[in-house]
Order: sequence, then structure tokens, then C-alpha cells
Amino acid sequence: MVASDREVVRGPEQVKWIQFAPYFAVATILVVLPLFLSSYTQGVMTRFLVFALFSAGYNLVFGYLGLPSLGHAAYFGAGGYAVAVLKLHYGTDLFWLGVPLGILTATLIAALFGLIALRVSGLYFLLVTFALGQLLFSVAWNVKWLNSPGMQGIAGLSFPSFGIPGLTVNSTSYYYLVLLITAFCILALHRIVCSPFGHALVGIREGEDRMRALGYNTWLYKYIAFIISGAFSGVAGVLFAYYNYMIDPNHLGVGTSFLPMCMAIIGGMGTLLGPVLGAAVIISVELVASIVTPDRWPLILGGIFVLTIMFARQGIGVYLVELSKRAGYPYGSTKG
Amino acid sequence: MENLVINLLNGLSYGMVLFLIASGMSIVMGAMNIINLSHGVLYMIGGYVGWTVAVKLGAPFALGLLAGGLAAGLVGLMLERGFLRFLYKQPNEQVLLSFGFVYILSNLSLWVWGGWPRMPFTAKFLSGSFEILGRAYPKARFATIVFGLVLAGILWWLQDRTRVGAMVRAGMDNKEITMGLGINLERLFAIVFFVASFIAGLAGVIGAQLLGVYNALGLEILLLALIVIIVGGVGSIQGALLGGILIGLVDAFGKALFPRFAMFTMYFTMIIVLLLKPRGLFGRKV
Repeated sequence: MVASDREVVRGPEQVKWIQFAPYFAVATILVVLPLFLSSYTQGVMTRFLVFALFSAGYNLVFGYLGLPSLGHAAYFGAGGYAVAVLKLHYGTDLFWLGVPLGILTATLIAALFGLIALRVSGLYFLLVTFALGQLLFSVAWNVKWLNSPGMQGIAGLSFPSFGIPGLTVNSTSYYYLVLLITAFCILALHRIVCSPFGHALVGIREGEDRMRALGYNTWLYKYIAFIISGAFSGVAGVLFAYYNYMIDPNHLGVGTSFLPMCMAIIGGMGTLLGPVLGAAVIISVELVASIVTPDRWPLILGGIFVLTIMFARQGIGVYLVELSKRAGYPYGSTKG
Repeated sequence: MENLVINLLNGLSYGMVLFLIASGMSIVMGAMNIINLSHGVLYMIGGYVGWTVAVKLGAPFALGLLAGGLAAGLVGLMLERGFLRFLYKQPNEQVLLSFGFVYILSNLSLWVWGGWPRMPFTAKFLSGSFEILGRAYPKARFATIVFGLVLAGILWWLQDRTRVGAMVRAGMDNKEITMGLGINLERLFAIVFFVASFIAGLAGVIGAQLLGVYNALGLEILLLALIVIIVGGVGSIQGALLGGILIGLVDAFGKALFPRFAMFTMYFTMIIVLLLKPRGLFGRKV
């Protein structure tokens, strides 16, 4: 069920099993399909899940709260760097250590940057988050401790170990691990956006002054949402680093920050599953482009940005939901 | 003492390039509420076209300057007329669209000009150096400072003393009433956007005297421009000038005094300004 600010109140007779059919179908595909794929394609699907999670977490600030952050790669990359530093300097790739540390790092940085960025709003918010992200980029570029010898970034990462004898992680089992975590996180995000807290965020997006007049401490709401969103980005970053074998300063920079924004807009911002759909679109185009014309991938990506804005401004996801409504099967509601 | 003067000159000349790139972006942002992230790429295109005209074809430097400015101006005009004008008051969409053009234009110029970096180039009479306090100092850097100050003067005059400037400022304050007075804001905005892009192209050729031109420059200079705008405040020539000079000086002295932390000195300045004056030193309300 797509969560949104204006959930349509339905009578019990309206909730039919067929409404859930598309979700079952997608879930079945995600669970069954990788069994028949090569490890490379499994990797691509892992990448899709990671960016779906990143983008869904980002959308809490971007879509629900309406603040255009251009620095979320900072938290994504911070999670990844936490895992990479553990491997580089302490020689451990223990999952139980990497994940909490990655989330903690991302959360702390989000808490710090949030203090600075939330002093302003609108256009300035965009500029400031952008510049703060680039600050981390330059830190990662310059500080020797954050780079493998002789290169930019940290290489030589591997799938995580679990400290259980006899259990080794390969691309298939890692895919299912990521699927599990992503599903869990998206459910958590669903709970957040459906809670009074989530509704308050939408209220702030639509009219901050009114929410303040109602007695809400809007700054605190924004700050908490910013931190939560940073934490989810951190989870995505941790999962990304394990799968990608290396992490470099570009994963903290603006190029990475634009991806979740683009995914959210393509899929439909302000909806929970829109970013997931957007991630599917971007990653599949990336897959095709990397096979056909790797040199021209930036051109194609830029083209996608432009086409999205000119022709699918409210998002493909929203468009599909509208279509399904017209066909008489209300799969979800969209923001009005 | 010599070091101080040299660093001061370095900072000023670099600051002038930063001012030039930031001024157009800041005015577009303030006057039209459009955030155009491809401004840095326009700078790079100006630099490349200037190089082609002045170095490859061997034309005079001034002609390269003009060609660079015009090329960037025309690309900018195309962006505004073709795309951005449909996106007024939609900042997220502007950001994504203009960043899409960063990818597109960078990749196209990689196609046209190739990946190898161009060395700094300048006019014949500006090559060579002066002697200051017993040190050789390149003439091109002086020329940059002079050029930047002259252009700042012209832009300041345009903004504060001319009818066009008054109309733009009126449009910043209240779009509806300005249009109600019979001013064709649509056309005015197109002109403003063209001029801003033109200056970005000029800045590209002028900056090429110090930095050369290379493909990643578009993004790097965009970041610097944004820092200058954050420090100086959106929407005024004075803000961009002050921000540019401040960041240029901070960078020059940072590199001289704390070489290990040179990259961070600018960010520290930015963060301090943000903490003290979130809207920048000369910020207008956007």
C-alpha cells in the first residue's frame, strides 16, 4: 500500500485481494528471479536495492518534508567509509561491527550537518547541503588515513563475514541479505510516514507557519527527520560498500547526491514506493548503457534527467497509480 | 613582506575569477529565482571556445574572449528559452534539469575537445612577468584583477544606475506588480540570462589565463561559485564581489600558511559565515 498524506478512507468491502496483487508479483520477482541469474546480474539487482533504499530514505526529507537536500551522498558515503576504514585499518569485515558503526557515523554526520543546514530553507538549504557534501568529499580526498596507499578511495573490500564458522557470503546470499534489510527499512519508513510524526512532516511541507501556530516545534521535527533520513542513507552506504569492493570520494560527492533526487522525481516524490520505482528505471538504463555505450553514459543519464523533468514531472509512479485508478483498481493513493 | 604581497595578488586575481563566475549565477538566482547548476559548464565551454579561437586558430586574445562569451551566452539562452522558462518557481526541477545539462554538456565537450587539459594561455602582450619587490609576477594575473574590477564596475552600474537594472530589481521584489506596470519580464529575464551566461563564458577565458581548461573544471568551478554565493549572499553584484575576493584571499593565504589544510579553509570560512549570517554577507530574501 502506498502511504501518503491523504490516505483515502475505504470501507472494508473496498479492500480486495486484487489490490495487493502487484505487490505480490513484484515481491515474487525479487525473491525468485535472482536464483536464475548470473552473479553479475545479481550484483546489478543488489545495486538496485541499495539505491532503492538510499532513495526512499532520502525521500523522507525531499518528498515528505519538501526540503531539497543535495548532500545526502555525504551520509551514504560516510556509512561506506566506516566499513572501508574498518577493513583497511583494523582488518575486519564483520557484519555485526560494520553496520552499527556505519549507521552511527552517518547519523552523527547528519546530526552535525543538520544543525548547520536547517538554519536556512529553500534555495539556501540546497546550496548549503551541497557545499557540506563537497566538504566531506574534499576531506576524503585529502586525508591519507581515508585512502588506500597509492590511490584515491579504499579498495579491497569484500562481502561481510558473520563470525559464524562455515558460513561464507557469496553474491546470491548477499543479495538476499540486502533484500531483507531493504524490505525491513522500507517497512520502517512506512511506519514512520504513517505515524503522527510523518503526517506532521507533510504538514510542515504544506505550511510551516500553520504548524508552528498549532504548537509544533517545527525545527525539531525537521531536524529529527533529517537525521533519520541520514541514518537510512548510511545503511544504504554500508550495503553498497560491501557489494562494490571499493569506495572513493565520488561516493560522497554531488554526482552521487543527485541519483536519489532523480530517482525520487522519476518515480514520484512524496510517495513511499515512487523512489523504488525510480531506482529500478535508473539502474536498468545504467545496465543497458554500460553494455552498449559506456563512454556516453553521462550523456544518457543527463538525457534522462532532462526528459524526466520535461515529460514526467509528477513521476512515473504517480502516473501509474492514476492509470490504475482510472482502470478501476485503486492500488494506492497519490498526493493531491 | 614579499610573500604577503604575492599572496595578496594571487588571492585577488583568483577572487576576481570567482567573482565573475558567481556574479551571473547569483543574479539569475536572485532576479529570476532560477538555480542554474550548468553555469559552471558554461564557464568551461567559454574557456574551450576561447582556447580554440585564441590558441588553435591563432586569433587575437580579445577575439577569443568575445567568442568564449558569445558561445556560453548562446548555450545559456538556449537553456533558458528551451527548458528553464517552463520551470519558474520549481527549484527541485530546475536543479535536476540543469544538472542533467552538466552531464550532457560535459560529455559533449569531452567529445569535441578531448580529455587532455589545456595549458593556461593569454594575450601576447600579457605573457611574461613584471618585477615586484624583486620577484617575477605574471602580467596575466594583473590583467585578471583589472578586468575583474572593470567588469564589477560595469555590472554595479548596470544594477544600480540604469533603467534595466531598476527593472530587474523591481522584478526581484515583486514580480506581479512589475509586470502590471507593463514591463515585459519574460524578455527581460531572457536578456538577464543571456548576459549572465555571457559573463560566465568571459570568465572562462579570463580564468583560463590562470587555471587552463579541462573537463572536470565545470563542476569544480560550480562548487566554488556556490561557496562564493553562500558567503556573499544571493542576488547582488556587491555580494558576489565581496564573496569572491574573500574566498580568493582565504584560499591564497590558506595555501601559503596551512598547505595541508588548503582545501578546507574555504569551507571553514563558509561555515563560519553560515553560522553568523545564514543568508550571506549581502543576502537578499529569496
